[in-house]
Amino acid sequence: MKLKDVCKILEAESAWEADWTPSATREVTSCQASDLISDILSFRGPDSLLLTGLTNVQVIRVAELLDFVAICFVRGKRPEPEAVKLAEDKDIPLFATPLLMYEACGRLYAARLPAGTKKEASPIA
Amino acid sequence: MKLSEIMQRLQLEVRAGGGSLSHEVNGGYASDLLSDVIANAQEGDLWVTLQTHQNIIAVASMKELAGIVLVNAREPEVDTLEKAKEENVPLLVSPLPAFELIGRLHKLGLSGIRA
Amino acid sequence: MPELEITKIQELIYELRVGDVMHKDVVTVMPSTPVSKLREVLRDNRISGTPVVENGRLVGIISVEDFIKWLGEGSPGCAVADRMTRNVIAVCADEPLIQAVNKLERLGFGRLPVLKRGTEEVVGILTKGDSIAGLLKKLDVDYRQAETRHARSSHIFEDIVADRSSLIFEYDVAGGGDVERAGASASGLKTSLMRLGINPQTVRRAAIATYEAEMNLMFFTNGGLITAIIESNSIRLEVTDDGPGIENVDQAMRPGFSTAPDWVRELGFGAGMGLHNIKTCADRMRLDSTVGVGTHLEVEILVGGKREVIRDHATVTA
Repeated sequence: MKLKDVCKILEAESAWEADWTPSATREVTSCQASDLISDILSFRGPDSLLLTGLTNVQVIRVAELLDFVAICFVRGKRPEPEAVKLAEDKDIPLFATPLLMYEACGRLYAARLPAGTKKEASPIA
Repeated sequence: MKLSEIMQRLQLEVRAGGGSLSHEVNGGYASDLLSDVIANAQEGDLWVTLQTHQNIIAVASMKELAGIVLVNAREPEVDTLEKAKEENVPLLVSPLPAFELIGRLHKLGLSGIRA
Repeated sequence: MPELEITKIQELIYELRVGDVMHKDVVTVMPSTPVSKLREVLRDNRISGTPVVENGRLVGIISVEDFIKWLGEGSPGCAVADRMTRNVIAVCADEPLIQAVNKLERLGFGRLPVLKRGTEEVVGILTKGDSIAGLLKKLDVDYRQAETRHARSSHIFEDIVADRSSLIFEYDVAGGGDVERAGASASGLKTSLMRLGINPQTVRRAAIATYEAEMNLMFFTNGGLITAIIESNSIRLEVTDDGPGIENVDQAMRPGFSTAPDWVRELGFGAGMGLHNIKTCADRMRLDSTVGVGTHLEVEILVGGKREVIRDHATVTA
């Protein structure tokens, strides 16, 4: 599913100043929903979307480390300025949806976006 | 929908509060931030989280939630389990990640939006 | 430099298949379609030609040139079958793009129908524009990867003559709960390892372990040092601090065990998964701690194909 389609389903709008259109057609292959940093870090799937209610700079850090395609903040939350700065620097598009976490997951799931796995698809490249 | 039916259809396991499984579930709520649940969850919601800390029971009880499901095969801490028994709050576990479990709950017709 | 770029583009043309760049939603007409209908078909779809298909088989191709010629003759009433080119030259979807581009060039055609190999089923259509767009897209994707590849120093170990060699990176981590700045070490290590050409999954494991260790230093100590020792077949992380130390290492290792206060939890931390995550990422892990003295953590991550074998032996000692 393309990032722009994900945004449409989530009724999400861009949550940073930069232009995200170059990333609009990037493929989102799975989704992870979590408000806990350690849990996000136990996840192994590049090219995923991160749904979270956390808005601090550390969310951007972990998204960078795990190669998430984009982050979408739920329940209308907006990222902290430091977080926006880092995201722009690392080229990780940020979005905000008015939906609650539960509803956001439900809609993406209904659109057949798979959940990410807990392990790398193939451990050794 | 009754909690017992959801439990059966999604193969959730009970860890505590088995006496309250006939509770009616009105909808779902997902969050790992207690302050958010306190502010936004509604009575009768089934709460999906991976927080295992005993404070989740206090929150669920205060907000009169239908129950708590721990995802990612997380197990409740000992204190949490005791507290859940004490307060008779249904505490269930699932091996699925949050996104997948919520997706399935949603598909069962358990909405996240209420008028 | 220019020479290198050209080689890269050539490589891409050989790598790309017709099927990667062709248009998959092909508009076709039937032999019995009246030529007068062609105007709408071409205009509405903004195309300059279309394959003629009968019973799923390609029987011809008709273009805007044929249509103009027909107009010039006073638009006599006839069907596509009377005006189409019959001996159609087509390409297969699994053919290298370079071959198809050569064909387009040599024959002076604007488009080529694409067939599923061994059949006459039309699965797409290839135009010059598609070829260029496909290449540009691929170049863009590769450019993202090239950024890291560009600075890549993966040959460094091969170039050095020694029985053993290692690279050592050190990162100072501030303590005292400085949430804003923390994470920079893991980020820096990740970038550096990518530049060394280590595979992304291994890099991610090292980055996650470093990140969790960094957070522990930031939240629970007055700061410490992370040292990454990179050898040709392993990445070793050493994390040291001078207190306060962990009271019960076994308990600290247990998933979900946490001593974090509420403010830490509200930031998304303190779920008690940190050390467990490190263990999951490591091929070997060793944790030594003495209350009042400090903590020493060693993590080893193997580079290459050995992980699955060794992983079960990951050990934790206190």
